[in-house]
Parts: sequence; C-alpha cells; structure tokens
Amino acid sequence: MQRSVVKKKVMKANFVNPVEETMTSSSAPSRKALSKIACNRLQKELVEWQVNPPAGFKHKVTDNLQRWIIEVNGASGTLYANECYQLQVDFSEHYPMEAPQVIFLSPAPFHPHIYSNGHICLGFHIANADILYDSWSPAMTVSSICISILSMLSSSTVKQRPADNDRYVKNCRNGRSPKETRWWFHDDKV
Amino acid sequence: MAEEEEVLMEVEALQAVYGDDCLVIEKFPPNFHLHINPRTADDSSQQFVEAVIGVRACPQYPEEPPHLEIIGSKGLDGHRKKHLITRIQEKAHELSSCLMLVALCEEAVETLSNMNHPDGNCPLCLYPLVLEDKQNSFLPFMKLMSCFHCFHSECIIRWWKWLQEQKEINPNTSSYDTVCPSRDLENQREMHGTMKANMGNCPVCRMIFHTEDIEHVLNLVGTHSFQLNLEETEASSDEALLQSDSENIRRQKFETLLKLQQENSGLIEPKSIEVLLPGTFLPESITIPTVSVKATNKQQQGDPTSTLASETDSSGSSNKPSTSKPKNSGMRKYRAQNSRKQLKQWIKKENSATE
Repeated sequence: MQRSVVKKKVMKANFVNPVEETMTSSSAPSRKALSKIACNRLQKELVEWQVNPPAGFKHKVTDNLQRWIIEVNGASGTLYANECYQLQVDFSEHYPMEAPQVIFLSPAPFHPHIYSNGHICLGFHIANADILYDSWSPAMTVSSICISILSMLSSSTVKQRPADNDRYVKNCRNGRSPKETRWWFHDDKV
Repeated sequence: MAEEEEVLMEVEALQAVYGDDCLVIEKFPPNFHLHINPRTADDSSQQFVEAVIGVRACPQYPEEPPHLEIIGSKGLDGHRKKHLITRIQEKAHELSSCLMLVALCEEAVETLSNMNHPDGNCPLCLYPLVLEDKQNSFLPFMKLMSCFHCFHSECIIRWWKWLQEQKEINPNTSSYDTVCPSRDLENQREMHGTMKANMGNCPVCRMIFHTEDIEHVLNLVGTHSFQLNLEETEASSDEALLQSDSENIRRQKFETLLKLQQENSGLIEPKSIEVLLPGTFLPESITIPTVSVKATNKQQQGDPTSTLASETDSSGSSNKPSTSKPKNSGMRKYRAQNSRKQLKQWIKKENSATE
C-alpha cells in the first residue's frame, strides 16, 4: 500500500502539461512503462481495432503503444460533419485498471463539454458520472471510449466552449491532468 | 379421456421431478416453463449457463409434438441457443406419439450440461475465456454469481484487489476533492456508498457484487497459488530466468574448469605456467616424438649454462639455445623439456636468484 501511494506522487510530479506537450513534441510523457498486462491488453485492442475499427475513427500508426493518436471524423448530419479532430490517448502502467487519459489535440472542437485545452468531460449529463474518470470500468476499451466521444459530439446542438472554460484552463496551466481536476466538471455552473 | 389422464399424470410426474423449476401454466393441454441448469452437482458457482424453456402442447399431444422455445437464458450466445432448441426439437420428433415431456426436459438439461462454459473473451484482458486445448485443466474462468458475466479468475481478482487498494488510498475523499462544491460531495458520497468495502461493480454491467460473489475463486488463490500482484509475477519470473541463466553460466564455468583439470592432469592453474614459458601456445607439441625429446636432452646437457643464463635473463629469450636449429623443432624441444624439467628449472632459477 505504502509503495503505491509513493508511486502516485511520483507520477503526479513527473506529469507534463498536456497542452504544452501537444504544441512542442510528440515524445512519450515521462511516466512508468506499461506493465506486461497492460501491454498484452493494448496489443489485443490494437489488433481488434485493425480488424474492426470504430466507424469514423482512424488510428495513426506509431510504435508507441502507450500513446495512441486517433483521428476523429465528425458524423455526417451533425454540427461537426466534415470536420476532423485528433484525440490523444495516454495509458498508465495500470491500464485497464486505471482509465486512460483522453484529450483532444489542438484545435479541440467547440463543444459545451470540451475545454479549449482539449480536456473532455464525458458522460456527466447521462450517468451523473464521467466514464473517463469516476465510472471507468476495465471492460471498456479505446474503441468504446471513441464511440462515446463521437456520440457526445453528435448530440451537441451548439458549438461553444463550456461556461467555465477560461477559469478551468487557467487552473490547468500548472500541468494538471484532467483526472486530477475532475471536480471541476461537477461544478454547478457547468 | 384415458389419454388425457395419462398426459395429466405425466405433468404431475414432471412437477415431482423438477419441483420449483417447473412452472405449470396449463395442465391440459400441457403448457409449462422449465428452468434448467447444467448438471454440476448443485454447485451453482460452476454453472456458466442457464435457460428457461417453454413447452406448449396442443390437444392432439402426444400425436403432435409440443411447441418448444427458449424463453430466457444466461451465458448462451445465439449459436448455442439455436443448438439447444434444435436438439430438443429433434428429440421431440424422434419420440413422436409417445409421452415425451420428461424425456424432452432431460434432453434439454443434458444438452445444456454439455455447453456449460462461457463464450467469447474475458472482458478484462480480451483473451478467450476457454482455450480449446486446455479445457480439462482447472477452470481458469469464473462467473459473477449475480449477473453471470464471466472473467478469467485471475483478471477479476486483480480488479477486485485494485478496487480494494484504491479504497484504501482514497478513503471517501481524495486529494482533489478539497475544493469541490457541495453537490459534488453528495455525488462522492453516493458513489462511495455503493463502493463500500467488500463490494465491487461488475465491469460489464455495473451490477454490484459482494465478496461472496467471488468467494469461490478467492479460494482458488490459495490452492493454485495465484500471483495476484502483477509486479510480483514479473519480478519472480525475471528472477527465475536470471537464476537459470546464471546457473547455466556457472555450470559451463565448472565444466570448462574440469576439462582443464583433466587435460592438465590435475593442475588447476595451468595458465600461470603458460605465461611464464612462451612457445607453449602450440598445442600439437604435447605429442612429441621421443627422438626429438632425446635430442633436446642432449642439447640441454651439452649446453646447460646457456639455458640457465637465458632463464635468468628473461623468460622471453628462453629458446635462445635452440636458435641454431630450425625454429619449429626448437619450440618442440622446449615444450618437451618443459614438462620434464619444470621442477629442476625452477630450482635453478631460485638458486640463480639467490646468487
């Protein structure tokens, strides 16, 4: 127990600001390498993705299993039709026990649940909990997350930033991961 | 009428055999639902499938076989459901015009028992639950007793342990909850309320399960010495590998040492001698014709001082006395004398050193 607490602290300390990172380089974040279990599972997911990719998504081929870059094409007939965005999915060493960190790379789509720094609040309006954070289940996959995100985009009626966007983004400037700031999503003003 | 009585008796028999599992809707013409489980000696933790079949006979029964359908099922995919119903229907045709209700039910239970295994992949690791070649080893998978979702025992226990660990790390409030608004506190409390100790959610359907639901596999932990901590698993396997590698190296070392010992008739440090005496690197010189040995002996006797001098001078020039002869034979000479006069030379050397 003691050990895992320490580990967590180290991870936090090493965490690189995702926003800065997206602008400067695509190098892997300084965090612990995937466990064997995480590796096996991700390889399996990648194979499944290649055979049967979720509609509207394209995985950009890299040799980095720990960070996936995925292209999202807005569904036709929605506000985001013919638009293309990029998702960055980072996996911790404990994946799938721990949810991956999913953010939109700049420029992030205008959406009431997507902040300008790419952080996503997914599912608050449906289940009163966010599948990317609180209600993550290890039975979910990158593919299922992608489908949820596309569904979130598709159901949007306005192209605008969350009401507290500026405040939130300012708060994130010190390199907070969206996982650490999940409380913000539950703010009354959202 | 006699026939109707027979049919009524059959339904009674059915109720006697299946008890509460048999829900009779109509006695005549017979119409009933039967809840079937695979035969596992009543060990429900080992039942990975179950089904409710509906049997509805027409007044012409048993001349006409009854209508059969699957009303509900757990753990069965479409393919296996179809297989189950076809088997019972075939049986019904086979037994046409006989009283067949009990026989049909038995056939259903039998068929279900033969497909008592989960299908597809483990939702946690995404690898198949049932490996074709390993079906008869101990069951590597388990089901949650409440929802019948199946996982590899190892995978679900890992998830269970992770949940427990997380609860210990973040008991009710975590570091980032300090600034949260009151509404969030409620959410938090709600969430942690459902995630109390000894509880978890099914990763697939989020149905709450308790320790009792996975007790039957937690027991496996001891008996099959599961390695739950993944880091531990890796460490121990790495260690084993290292050990075997180092063990191999060690064994090789000893083997070469033994070989050397055998070659040098028990001398453990032949190398220091080789260093002292140049020319010894030619291995074939060990088998020297006796003639040449004699020759060297002669030579040695003929010119002992020069040998001594050369020895004391430096080991590098030790084959000086043989320079007049062809080089090859000179080397051989030296080798031959090497084994014989080793001791003598050493003594001489010591003497010369003391002088």
